[in-house]
Amino acid sequence: MVEQTSSSKAQPAKPELVITRIFSAPRELLWQSWTDPKQIVKWWGPKNFTAPVAKIDLRVGGKYLYCMRSPEGQDYWSTGTYSEIVPPARLVCTDSFADADGHVVPASYYGLGDDFPLEMQVTITFEDVDGKTKMTLKHVGLPESMSDMAGTGWNESFDKLAESLK
Amino acid sequence: MSLPAISKHLKVLERAGLIARGREAQWRPSRLEAGRLKEVADWLEHYRRFWDESFDRLDAHLRELQAKQKQTQRKQTREKKHGRTNKQF
Repeated sequence: MVEQTSSSKAQPAKPELVITRIFSAPRELLWQSWTDPKQIVKWWGPKNFTAPVAKIDLRVGGKYLYCMRSPEGQDYWSTGTYSEIVPPARLVCTDSFADADGHVVPASYYGLGDDFPLEMQVTITFEDVDGKTKMTLKHVGLPESMSDMAGTGWNESFDKLAESLK
Repeated sequence: MSLPAISKHLKVLERAGLIARGREAQWRPSRLEAGRLKEVADWLEHYRRFWDESFDRLDAHLRELQAKQKQTQRKQTREKKHGRTNKQF
């Protein structure tokens, strides 16, 4: 019993990243920056990157698909599904690497480490602080989807095995 | 820290794959799985940089957006004033 409690509390397999920033803008503008594709392309991606494509289907269960381009011209696509949309306060979605068609791919597709979770969850909250906005981003890895995929792989293998034994 | 408490902590670390534990008689030698720790740090570090730099750009975008809004407002106010002045004549 004690063991179970400590393992669920510690959750070491779900490391998370929390970033907080204050922006000198009302939160309605922050909300638009996150949910309007025309605005996403203005800021999505690290320094010197551009974002040539942003598509957003803003509804629960709807998806987004973004492309960012490195200074060397390498494109990185990412996609996710919205699970909570509360304007202008809270936005929750999954986040995964994707190909240009929006299919989820592992980070290794882009030459990044195998340790990247296949699916992550991003929660963004916007709080009004005297006309400014305190934005908090929580980025959590969802490693269980990795095991889900591994499970699918096994099921497919077993299907094939069953087929070959017929 | 009590011995049972240490043992509990080690169990959590082992389950997370952060340490590997052997068994020698009554001893449980523990070894740090540094590779696993580094893996976790790698993807977190990747995203920290991604978000930090994106948010720098978001900050710049919001400033530009608001500067443009102010400019438009000022223009509109000026046009309104002119409109009123013209009517007087």
